Amino acid sequence: MAGAHDPQLLKGVLSLLLLRLLADQESYGYEIVQRLHGIGLDEIQAGTVYPALARLERERRVSARLVASDEGPARKYYRPTPAGYEALADGAARWRSLADVVSTHLDRPVHRPEKGR
Amino acid sequence: MTMARDLNPLDRIRIERVVWSLDQRLYDLPRRVRITHRRDLRHNLNEAARDIGVSAALRDLGGASALADAYLEAHHGSAPRARWTEAAVVVMTATFMLTSVFFDAAKAFGDGILAGDPDAEGTFRWSGISSLQNDVTYTVTDGEHTFVGGSFSPLTWVLLALGFVVVGRVWRVVPNLGARRHRDVAFTE
Repeated sequence: MAGAHDPQLLKGVLSLLLLRLLADQESYGYEIVQRLHGIGLDEIQAGTVYPALARLERERRVSARLVASDEGPARKYYRPTPAGYEALADGAARWRSLADVVSTHLDRPVHRPEKGR
Repeated sequence: MTMARDLNPLDRIRIERVVWSLDQRLYDLPRRVRITHRRDLRHNLNEAARDIGVSAALRDLGGASALADAYLEAHHGSAPRARWTEAAVVVMTATFMLTSVFFDAAKAFGDGILAGDPDAEGTFRWSGISSLQNDVTYTVTDGEHTFVGGSFSPLTWVLLALGFVVVGRVWRVVPNLGARRHRDVAFTE
């Protein structure tokens, strides 16, 4: 189905997407899930995002702070660290480089063999 | 941002069930990390449930098993890792089974004494299953026998300890088969 995104491709760029979204605006876990869905990536499950955030935090690419919430316990807001911004720049460059190569190749006309051959 | 809905006690129970189910699968993580994941997940699930309802929130989370694998991988990386919880379960099962086998063997020897000589009287000694079991002493009176002993020998305890280490680390040569399977289905197709 052309509208659905390949889960394997999404898995490869999830960290990059998270860093990019958090660079725009710090967010807590569920809010990030909503923002991913908001940009059209409905395939990404919350159960994939939370461990990815934990990994980024462990790698010190994001930092977290607790902010009091009116709706219950304090929310844990994430934002990129300097190392996270570096990883984002590096990852974005790698992604664009790969996408350029792949797009150039995929955009070439396809010559299908004629039927009967 | 969201139209919050109230959570009833049943909703909270369903969330807690998933939270603690995850917690049980994260025992290989440091306690502090496990508590943090538990707290974060509970909070995010509550947020999601207030927004889209508990059923949808839990569905979007996926299974606790896949989630635990993802958290473990986030902590340990994708390299193979020792799995001491699994090792403990295997060794406890082995201990239970050995206890059962040793008891049955000891009882069978006592029955054998009376089968060989129904009029036997006195005390008898059996050295137990070779090297694995301590001596068993039988007292036979009036066609009945009782016995004491037959516990694990030091060698058995050493073998169980060895088994714990081997099983805990054998997963290093079967690299994350389960985790890979879960990771591949972590996104909805």
